[in-house]
Amino acid sequence: MRLATPPLQLAGLAAVLLLLPLGLGDYWSYQLALYYLYAVAALGIGLCWGRAGFLPLGQAMFFGLSGYLSGLALIAFEGSVWLIVLLPLAALASGALAYAIGTLVFRQRGESGPYFSMITLALSLLAYQIANSWDSVTGGFNGLKGIPGLPGLDSFGAAYYVAAAALLLALALTTWVLRAPLGILWAALAQNERRLVLFGFNSNQLKAVAFGLSGLLAGIGGALYAPQQGLVTPQLCGFLLSADLVIWAAVGGRGRMLGPVLGAVVVGALSSTLRVRFQFWEVLVAALFIAVVLLFPQGIVGVFAPLERRFASRRRRADLGAPRRGGAQDAARLVIDGVSAQVGEVKILDRLSLAFERPGIFCIIGPNGAGKTSTFNLLTGELAAAAGRVELDRDAVTGIAPHRIVRLGVGRKFQIPTVFTDLSIADNLCIALWSGRASRADLLRPRLRRWSSPMLAELRQRYGFLADATRKAAELSHGERQILELAMALLTEPRLLLLDEPCAGLSPEETQQVIEVIRWASRRLGATVIVIEHDISLVKELAEEVYVLHNGALLAQGTVADIQSNPAVQAIYVGAQK
Amino acid sequence: MDALLVTQSINVVYGIATLAILALGLAVIFGLLGVLNLAHGELIMLGAYCAWVTQAHGWPFLAAVPLALAVCGALGALVEWALIRPLYRRPFDTLVATWGLSLLLRKSVEALFGLGYKSVSMPLQGTVRVLDSPYPAYRVALIVLSVAVLAALILWYGRSGTGTRIKAMVGNPELAQALGIPVKRLAAGTFVVGCCLAGLGGVMVAPLVPVQPYMGLDYILQSFFVLVVGGLGSVLGLLSGAAVIGGANGIVSALFNATYGYFTVLVLAILFLWLRPRGIYARS
Repeated sequence: MRLATPPLQLAGLAAVLLLLPLGLGDYWSYQLALYYLYAVAALGIGLCWGRAGFLPLGQAMFFGLSGYLSGLALIAFEGSVWLIVLLPLAALASGALAYAIGTLVFRQRGESGPYFSMITLALSLLAYQIANSWDSVTGGFNGLKGIPGLPGLDSFGAAYYVAAAALLLALALTTWVLRAPLGILWAALAQNERRLVLFGFNSNQLKAVAFGLSGLLAGIGGALYAPQQGLVTPQLCGFLLSADLVIWAAVGGRGRMLGPVLGAVVVGALSSTLRVRFQFWEVLVAALFIAVVLLFPQGIVGVFAPLERRFASRRRRADLGAPRRGGAQDAARLVIDGVSAQVGEVKILDRLSLAFERPGIFCIIGPNGAGKTSTFNLLTGELAAAAGRVELDRDAVTGIAPHRIVRLGVGRKFQIPTVFTDLSIADNLCIALWSGRASRADLLRPRLRRWSSPMLAELRQRYGFLADATRKAAELSHGERQILELAMALLTEPRLLLLDEPCAGLSPEETQQVIEVIRWASRRLGATVIVIEHDISLVKELAEEVYVLHNGALLAQGTVADIQSNPAVQAIYVGAQK
Repeated sequence: MDALLVTQSINVVYGIATLAILALGLAVIFGLLGVLNLAHGELIMLGAYCAWVTQAHGWPFLAAVPLALAVCGALGALVEWALIRPLYRRPFDTLVATWGLSLLLRKSVEALFGLGYKSVSMPLQGTVRVLDSPYPAYRVALIVLSVAVLAALILWYGRSGTGTRIKAMVGNPELAQALGIPVKRLAAGTFVVGCCLAGLGGVMVAPLVPVQPYMGLDYILQSFFVLVVGGLGSVLGLLSGAAVIGGANGIVSALFNATYGYFTVLVLAILFLWLRPRGIYARS
């Protein structure tokens, strides 16, 4: 989805927007100016829905809020220079409110489905009620009337260019953010939130930022709507505009930034005339919306996708060295002390005690349901302990959020290879490199996508396909995905590396390669590596020490030979008795 | 007993009963199929319009019930086939598709009947005496009917073979399919029943509210929040959710105004999201 040269595209679009009024005449220019502002707000929906994977259903609330604020400011300070500050502040207020709401609602991890959508819908109805009933400030049902235009820019033509400039600014802003790491992380989040969290990213905050930005965009639209239209009514906060914005984003194409713009301008402007002439127009639009959702998720701009790929840049820029990751560097010291945990009625860990106090490779084995993967979930903070303690470097990590634990230097590879399939191999690897290394400000710098590290260079030498930057992870075979995810786990340079059946589904040759990589990485990182493995021949090759789990507790511990001669272990594997 | 207290208590019971019956269809579809039907409110709206159409033609009020069941049932079957079935296990897409459906229904009704408020006249006039206090007869009938519908549904779900098969489908669709349970047909049937319940709810509340194309919005939000607070999968959850949401909304609206009532419901919903994301009575 990499665009050729965004500055060039934006320049082209700017030229089109500049010339349009010459061909269209006053009436359509006036109409277009209005729909440019709606397009700015629809961009925000495209961002949330098309990228970050959650759907705001009440976006008009932010449009309306800044519309009212801007209208009040224009009336109170008519003609004053201060409006240069006050109007942006109105837009920022919407952004801040959206960020605050996002922070509140996204506090529970994994929440981006119905809950969020319904709360935003309810909030916009609430905003409508407030605007409608708070007569003294909002003018009630009739709204704020007689809002003066922008000083010096209130002619017909000037209003058009103000709206066009706002649209270009909004497009430039979103294009830039989406090319920066932040945009990549949003896309990753929409595909697999858990995986992203286990790379140490705070997914709740990422979602709140996306929603905040979408609120800001709606705010920009609203702040300019007031002077352009001279009137702000409660409808501006309400359900109808919220619904229209979603429709426009969907029909235009929510995945690309030009989509919502096209949707708002084409469908919106068409509706403004056809709604009156043709009774069933809006029914048709609703049917079109359903059809797009079901059959053409890419929307109108999806038609141009093949073109875009042709012009995609193949130029590879020089790599940039990633900084070293912060915090402690030596192998992690891990102690699990008497931990019990249960899910529902089922007790999955039963006073489990384990300790790993030196670097090396350790294997956990045990029959199905022994609590092996649950132990990993416990270590990454995803499974809450009902009793007992988990210590990392002598600090308790029980009750700490998963992304924070990961940032202490814990890397994990899942049993089923979990990579971000819609992203390129390069972006997948970058996400791992950013983990624990990129600061918040870094996430806005597109150049971070050129990061590399010595470890990555070595991995690319071992596995040639990792250097194929543009290929999508979805195109990889099962074996290659296993390798990619393993490489991603290694790139975070963890001090404690958790590998859940890293060789599952691999051919014998691939298995040998992976074993070698694990040994190499263990030496190179000086890390504590814990491997869950079923295949005893692998365990023999890898493990310095073996831990046998059974019914959520430690049954035996020792070298492979010790374990194999242990009667209790033999009993559970042969199934003689419990 | 104090007459005012009696009236207020019945008001509370009435509020909970209507909210529970309005949320029931959503609870059935969301709880059993995991599909959040955002067009639920519009099905209620269609039910209410059925009541209006019946009266406008001079037919008896009760004729609205079969009409609403037919309209919502047929629509439900069509929607299940066209929108829901292709999107099972893609909950987010279902959400968006049913949201589109809600727009379609709203706009269709608007195009057919106009935006204006319709009023349905009360089929039962007068009052009955409850514990020596007069109370509107229709509301009493509504309470009785809601309880009856809920009880019938619980009994049927608990005792019938179909109920057991539905439980099997909810617990493990693949296994149920392998055992020869017609999972697709069962899911479609469940969806249709949920839609019919919404239509029935619409008929029941029609005489009490202004009937208009946008009335569904409030109902879907209230129903959803009832499920959020109460939790999915049990009647006790439905009732407690209805009690919390209906109670909080009613009390705050009476003390201050409707805007505050609305706000309270939202705050409650967000608090539940943090503290009890699976509701008061979560299915284990």
